[in-house]
Amino acid sequence: MSVLAEVVTVALNGLQQGAIYVLVAIGLSIILGTLKFVNFAHGALYLIGTYAGLLITLEINVTDGKLADWGYTPIGLEWGFLPALVIVPSVVFAVGLLMERFVARPFYDRPDTDQILLTFGLAIVVQEVFKILFGGQSYNFARPGWASGQVDLPIVGTFPEWRLYIIGITAAVVVLVYGLIEYTDFGLVVRAGTRDAEMVELLGIKLSRPYLMVFGVGAALAGVAGVVGGPLYAVNPNIGTEILVPSFLVVVIGGVGSITGAVLGGILIGETLAILVAVAPQWSQVGIYVLAAIVLLARPQGLLGVEEVTP
Amino acid sequence: MARGENIDVSRRDVVKMAGASGLVGLSGVAGSASAQENPPIGNFPIQGNPTFGFTVPQSGPYSSEGQDELRAYRLAVEHLNNGGGWVDNWSDLTGNGVLGNQVEFVSGDTATDADTARQTARRMIQRDRAIMLSGGSSSAVAIAIQELCQREKVQYMCCLTHSNDTTGKSCVRYSFREMFNAYMSAQALVPPVTQEYGNDNNFYQLYADYTWGQTVQSSMSRFFGEAGWSELNSVATPLGTKDFSSYLSQVPRDRTDVLFLNHYGLDGANSLSQARDMGLDQDMEIIVPLYNRPMAQAAGGAIEGVFGTVAWDSQIDNPPSNQFTSAFNEKYSRVPSGPAQLAYAQTLQYAAAVERAGTFYPPEVIRQLEGYNYNNIGMGEETMRACDHQAQRAVPVVKGLPEGEQQQGQFFEIVNVTPRSKLGYACDEGPAGECELGPYE
Repeated sequence: MSVLAEVVTVALNGLQQGAIYVLVAIGLSIILGTLKFVNFAHGALYLIGTYAGLLITLEINVTDGKLADWGYTPIGLEWGFLPALVIVPSVVFAVGLLMERFVARPFYDRPDTDQILLTFGLAIVVQEVFKILFGGQSYNFARPGWASGQVDLPIVGTFPEWRLYIIGITAAVVVLVYGLIEYTDFGLVVRAGTRDAEMVELLGIKLSRPYLMVFGVGAALAGVAGVVGGPLYAVNPNIGTEILVPSFLVVVIGGVGSITGAVLGGILIGETLAILVAVAPQWSQVGIYVLAAIVLLARPQGLLGVEEVTP
Repeated sequence: MARGENIDVSRRDVVKMAGASGLVGLSGVAGSASAQENPPIGNFPIQGNPTFGFTVPQSGPYSSEGQDELRAYRLAVEHLNNGGGWVDNWSDLTGNGVLGNQVEFVSGDTATDADTARQTARRMIQRDRAIMLSGGSSSAVAIAIQELCQREKVQYMCCLTHSNDTTGKSCVRYSFREMFNAYMSAQALVPPVTQEYGNDNNFYQLYADYTWGQTVQSSMSRFFGEAGWSELNSVATPLGTKDFSSYLSQVPRDRTDVLFLNHYGLDGANSLSQARDMGLDQDMEIIVPLYNRPMAQAAGGAIEGVFGTVAWDSQIDNPPSNQFTSAFNEKYSRVPSGPAQLAYAQTLQYAAAVERAGTFYPPEVIRQLEGYNYNNIGMGEETMRACDHQAQRAVPVVKGLPEGEQQQGQFFEIVNVTPRSKLGYACDEGPAGECELGPYE
């Protein structure tokens, strides 16, 4: 492989790995930036998205857990991927609304530690519920038939088609969310609320509805990530916890509340992983934490984060 | 002389036991009787019923394997206490507990992590006073627990551990292994694989970066090297890696004939599926040296045509195998996996050794297992070798079935059950050459 081909391949791999983190991190970041709510249960929303996607897309054979005990061994709708891409975010959006109303709202004025404890506990509960229902076993989430092959890219050569779709879907979702936040009245209120919530309220705008929506949108993004990322890895109840840590790193690196920051952070983490695997594999896991530490030392608010207005 | 010493020890112990029984009240009759003959060691003499401790991964990359092991352990205890399964035709077992005591058990999560596993095992030894521990998988976990068991003088019956080091340089007197190792997997794979793919190939390896993966990598290098193949490169990947695409894209497609994915459990399912996603199977052959059922299930159609070895498979057709499959199926309505068979076999092996010894006194139980010949667990004639506590046994070589032909519990076709005469190594060579078992007491 020529040097150029190697560089481009690594870059593309990094972009693809970063894309899933971006999808999860944007939701995490806008919820944290706008609502000042530390949502450790965001990974659980990803988990719900993946299992919901699995059930809508395919029929799976459950051999473990309560569902199997109750006699529901083959379950799933076999509706295919595109319906899942619409239905799953809607379902997780609704879950997000419920979560904002009954979990997050009573805790907005409580310290971060309370929020972390609450949401972390909630994440474990969700994970265990899935384990009870579906068993702890791993399921194979097949890629959609229309994207299961490989494409021949110039320079790079063969590349898995589904991974290109992931980059494409992520880009589309990012543009959509960016448009929503930057160019709509709703986005204006949200952005103002991010900067100075008290001032917005003083202007007579009730923030509880935009807050509800922000939580819902953030959750729906985790749902999208779950469906899109599902076919990359074997699916089991631990995937929510596993995606949470790198996604938080993305938020920290990019800057809380910034969509472009989340994109930049995600790409940086994906590329760091891919480059380290190519040159020094044993450092690949440590590398992303070193990156986060360097960014935090140089720019505590993250690369594109803004310093908050302190009352 | 030796006899005299024995009598001397036993007399002292009678006095000791008399004092002890005054303090702890009435303990189990069998416990006190054997204690009169043997000095206390580890958790011997047992107080009340014997407790077995099962250390299985219930989280982490090997959690699916752990769940199936736990089912088998439960079944083993049930059969030991009430009869059923193999217990009915093992002459050493009665179906009325072990030495007339009903067996109890505790189970704990190792989280596929050596430190967590050590804590779990320590709790079982100190708080639950387990007389025997058994579990897996992850060789790093097994080695950590067996070291602890040697120190605490509690017996450990390894379940799923495939690293050469378990009965090689890290071997201990208090641990026994029914599972074969990476060395034997490589020996078993060479003949069918070279026959299928030829004698002149370039191979590339990705391996999990801990004791198991390292010994699989070195064993494959050695035996396929000896068979005439050339190794292009070996790359270590951290345990628990989810996305292998960056590693896989480093594999030179134009020069590699065979790719070894030395990953297990969830890692193996992910790396194999991702290799297929990238179309590597169109340019080269793929081999997964150690497979199992939960892993094949998670990998789906990606296992098609991929060679590997398994601990045991329900398709192996002989009376003990069939009997285990039907007992497991009856209890759980599912086909047992290789790790489940290992778990069940190891528990019964220990119980049978206790019965033969007539005591739970660990050094005596160990001597009963050392050099023991058996043919009752479905893998043909076997010997639990005394020099390294490694079972000398046959190794099944399998090939993955296409997705359309996979049914519940059946994911492989058995290519060959390589007999033990074609495998293994002498006590002074290979991994056994590095083994020093340590003291009985």
